Amino acid sequence: MAELGTMALLIGLAVNTYSLLGSVIGVKVGLPELIVSSRRALYMSILSASAASTALIAAFVQNEFAIKYVADHSNTIMDRAYVWVAFYSGNEGSLLYIVLVLSIISAISVRFAPKQLARSIPWTIAILAGVQLFYFFVLTFFANPFELLETIPADGRGINPLLTHPGMFSHPPLLMGGLIAITIPFAFSSGALLAGNYSDDWVNVARISAILGWGVLGTGMLLGAWWAYNILGWGGYWAWDPIENVALMPWLVVTAFAHSIMVQKRRGMFRMWNVALLNIAFVLAQLGMFINRGGPVVSVHSFAASTLGMIFLGFMMFALIFAFTLFLWRMPHLKSDRAMESFLSREASFLVNNFLFLAVMCITLWGVLFPLFSDLARDVSVSVSAPYFDRANGPVLLSIVVMMGIGPLLPWRKASSRSLRQWFIWPTAVGILTILVLLSLGVKRPVAIFSFGVIAFVALAILEEWVRGTVARHRLGENWVTAWWKLVNGNRPRHGGYIVHISILMLGLGIIGTNFYQQRTDGALEIGQSLVIDNYRIEYVNNGNSSRPDRISKWAEISVYNINVNNYVTEKATAKAQGSAGFTLDDSTLRPGDRLIGQLEPWHGFYLDFNMASVRSGIRSTIVEDLYVIPRDFLPDGRVSLAVSINPLAWWLWAAGPIFIIGTMVALWPQVADKPHNRMKTQMTRESKI
Amino acid sequence: MIVDTGKYSPMATRLLSKLIGSHTLPNKNIVITSPILLFVVMIITFGCIREEDITLEQRMHQLTNQLMCPVCDAQTIDGSNAQISKDMRAKVQELLHEGKSNSEIKDYFILRYGEDILAAPTGIGFNLLAWIMPIFIVLGGISITFLALKNMRCSNTKAALTVTSNQQDLSKYLTQVDTDLGIYEDKNSQDHNPNNQSVDEIKS
Repeated sequence: MAELGTMALLIGLAVNTYSLLGSVIGVKVGLPELIVSSRRALYMSILSASAASTALIAAFVQNEFAIKYVADHSNTIMDRAYVWVAFYSGNEGSLLYIVLVLSIISAISVRFAPKQLARSIPWTIAILAGVQLFYFFVLTFFANPFELLETIPADGRGINPLLTHPGMFSHPPLLMGGLIAITIPFAFSSGALLAGNYSDDWVNVARISAILGWGVLGTGMLLGAWWAYNILGWGGYWAWDPIENVALMPWLVVTAFAHSIMVQKRRGMFRMWNVALLNIAFVLAQLGMFINRGGPVVSVHSFAASTLGMIFLGFMMFALIFAFTLFLWRMPHLKSDRAMESFLSREASFLVNNFLFLAVMCITLWGVLFPLFSDLARDVSVSVSAPYFDRANGPVLLSIVVMMGIGPLLPWRKASSRSLRQWFIWPTAVGILTILVLLSLGVKRPVAIFSFGVIAFVALAILEEWVRGTVARHRLGENWVTAWWKLVNGNRPRHGGYIVHISILMLGLGIIGTNFYQQRTDGALEIGQSLVIDNYRIEYVNNGNSSRPDRISKWAEISVYNINVNNYVTEKATAKAQGSAGFTLDDSTLRPGDRLIGQLEPWHGFYLDFNMASVRSGIRSTIVEDLYVIPRDFLPDGRVSLAVSINPLAWWLWAAGPIFIIGTMVALWPQVADKPHNRMKTQMTRESKI
Repeated sequence: MIVDTGKYSPMATRLLSKLIGSHTLPNKNIVITSPILLFVVMIITFGCIREEDITLEQRMHQLTNQLMCPVCDAQTIDGSNAQISKDMRAKVQELLHEGKSNSEIKDYFILRYGEDILAAPTGIGFNLLAWIMPIFIVLGGISITFLALKNMRCSNTKAALTVTSNQQDLSKYLTQVDTDLGIYEDKNSQDHNPNNQSVDEIKS
């Protein structure tokens, strides 16, 4: 398999070199045949990438431990299903996976690119082939997954135990796929610039491919958060870890692009700006690759001992210089068709929204790079982690949510004061009402309450538009559901966007709930003892352990009771006096009002081969709050030390995922109504010419 | 450009109209009232709440979230299960019970592990840069956005005047769409919420 794989990589290298040079020479010299054959060469790299991937997977299936990568990332006792995970679990394999994805999406996007792009497509192909060439080059010479071992081990090292979870079937591939997918819109915009095609023909294909990659990346990040919360068992879901940040930054920039490209599509404005956004996103995606593979920043996600840092840094710098030189060269041609008419228009609100997204991106980038600056400038290492990002990004993120309510309510071109009053009165009223109600209920945390008000404001703004549109259609005789459905279908990019906005609001609820209202307590329990926090009583019933060839595990059996707080008043008062949220009960006798609501089995695993421990928390999730039990330690005296937290509204974080996907799909679904509309438009242009 | 900077218009409006040109602001009242409204709401929200004193346990969790685990990659001692994190957590608790303040406890760890034990840089000396930069980014961003808006208004006004004939042809349909959707607006904002499908329906 190793020979086959290496050969496939070499073919990939050759094919992409040909495709890159062929496209450029074909255009410059004027050889249409060469251009066509270069395009076919680009399609060919699917074959070589999938041949190499198949060879690697086959090597895993057949336990070919002569191949170093296979020996390092699998063994004979591993569950066979995890072969797919093992494929991309290491540095080399993940690069192969990336090139596989890139070759497939490149071919699809080139094959189905609109005909008007005929002039710029060769340049797009050249860029795509160039990027693929880079990855094939790295795979062949620096990170060959088919490298052989001199002595063949009897068994492999096995897969990293942290990855043996179903979540790993989707989180890494989606994330890497999403990051590399940013290449496609970048190749189309820069291809158009290289060809000197200044029309908006590239806009549609770039928008679709950008949003596709964006949706995939977003889903990947959400899955990662979900995985961290439910599986990793450290109690959080987003740590502002450098790798999380480098995935978030391009996502933010593409989010800005997804908004401002609509201005170009609809109004012919922001041309320069959109190209610049794609350039930034592409460079940031390369920065992500760099930091992930031997970059100078520590992270929990980095591939261990990767020496590829300099190569990826070089490629990132090249991408940066290439993209922006091209941009500056062609900038004079990228003029807007129209001027901004009013400060209070949707165009302007999109500009503000873009600024906010870029501000979060820049602050995050600054936070990621600051330790490096500190190291270089004064030789003192500092850490920049969650407390910094929460504080620095929090206000800007909240402003983004505010804009989410304002922007969609502003019309294109210019808003009149009458329409402003008409559209804003209800959302504002409901937002303020929410704040007042929360205040009167005695809820604490002003920042959180204000944020809830903002969320209510945005939610009502979306609802208002749907209600008005639906009511208007209903009056024309459609039933409510059809009316709403037709409204959404009438302008899918817009209403899909609203659905995504709703998912962001749900995320916001979860983030505010877990960050501001979390309650925590720690305690060490003997069997029969209970820990009480808020209205939960957590009884340590029993423990158990098991030993498997790959791991030793130990678990605690825990019963969760819902209690009537009035029966625990004295203990609670004592605990409060001691400055603790929870307290321990020594006896296991239930009190009136105690009601068993669930059983949890948090466990510890220890993987001998890896000398690695993993923790799985017990979680009882409801729509209102999660009870989260982390087994900190199984103490030698038989006690278990638990960290228990109540995470309000955490459920909403995960519920947002499906909504996000649905919204993205609605926004991307081909607009059938586009065609007649376009026909009408072209007819009009023709008439106006006559 | 600067037409209306009347004697009685408040300073906020004058500043805004200087920055972006007065007739971009459709209604001075709205421009003044909405930020004021936002501000008042914020003040009310923030003023109505008296935070409780935080408990020792809460301080414990605050601190463990602000200290990094020295042997792990980018994890705080709160999230990490390494032995050293457990020991550090115990130490934090011990120091808290001794009555040490948060900054004393942090100093204790900085002395032993160096400055990178803190999860966020301090706001002193060189590290102040870490905190000031975000403010510069936001302020710089705001000014660039303002300039861009202003620029986009001034430049190619010609293009704005010759609103393409397509648009004028469409306006009839778009007004109809707005009426269908229950939006009755001024002529200025006719193409608010154009709904392609109904355009086509009307067309056919």
